[in-house]
Amino acid sequence: MNDNQYIYQAMFLLDNGEVREQGFNAVREWVKSTLEKHGATVKVLRFWGERPLAYPIQGRARATYVLGWIQGTEKTVSATKHEMYLLGPVFRNLFLKEEEIPAEELAFGIEEVKDEDITVLDDTPVAEALFEEDEESDDSSEEKSSDESGDAEEGDAETKKDGEGESEEKPAEAATASTEKEEA
Amino acid sequence: MTEDTPKTPQKFDFKDIETLQRYLNSQGKLYSAKRTGLSARQQRQLKRAVKYARTLALLPYAN
Repeated sequence: MNDNQYIYQAMFLLDNGEVREQGFNAVREWVKSTLEKHGATVKVLRFWGERPLAYPIQGRARATYVLGWIQGTEKTVSATKHEMYLLGPVFRNLFLKEEEIPAEELAFGIEEVKDEDITVLDDTPVAEALFEEDEESDDSSEEKSSDESGDAEEGDAETKKDGEGESEEKPAEAATASTEKEEA
Repeated sequence: MTEDTPKTPQKFDFKDIETLQRYLNSQGKLYSAKRTGLSARQQRQLKRAVKYARTLALLPYAN
């Protein structure tokens, strides 16, 4: 890991519960201070959207996305990732090395957004519903698998029986063949 | 190519979900280069963009 400065595009997934409690600006300020604490220069940090997740993550069905453009070292990024993994409202992040910051992104800067303008939907009931569905599907799949395994066992038993039958027949055949040889 | 047909982007961005979804089937799997008609480099860029989008739960791993 060298000490060269790189430009990174970063995306953070914020917990909707934290955003609702503390407000978006407070959570974004936590992200910014965490980045700066580890030596990054934050060029852009803006609200990208509040949307449903394509798959549930730790019981969450929705998240608030924050897009950032930062300048820092590889150590900065790894330290920030480590801290965000252990603490805070960010439950997933992505850092990508880029060559330059696009002009249209630079125009956003550290965007000030009113907390009232951001509507964060409650994702807990959706998440619970998702888990209930999963549990139901798991139960049904277990039942099916148990049935299948039962059938398979029966099938195996049958094949074993058949195999035994064959093995019983083989010595008899061998015996007849040997008697034929003796007669010859 | 007609006007309605969307053009292939110069660079694939993981945030541009609508574009990425054009190259995925109903199961969420990426089409082959033979089917997308992209060059090897573009196909690699597309693959990376889809994987980044999946990491951020913008696209599903499997439908």
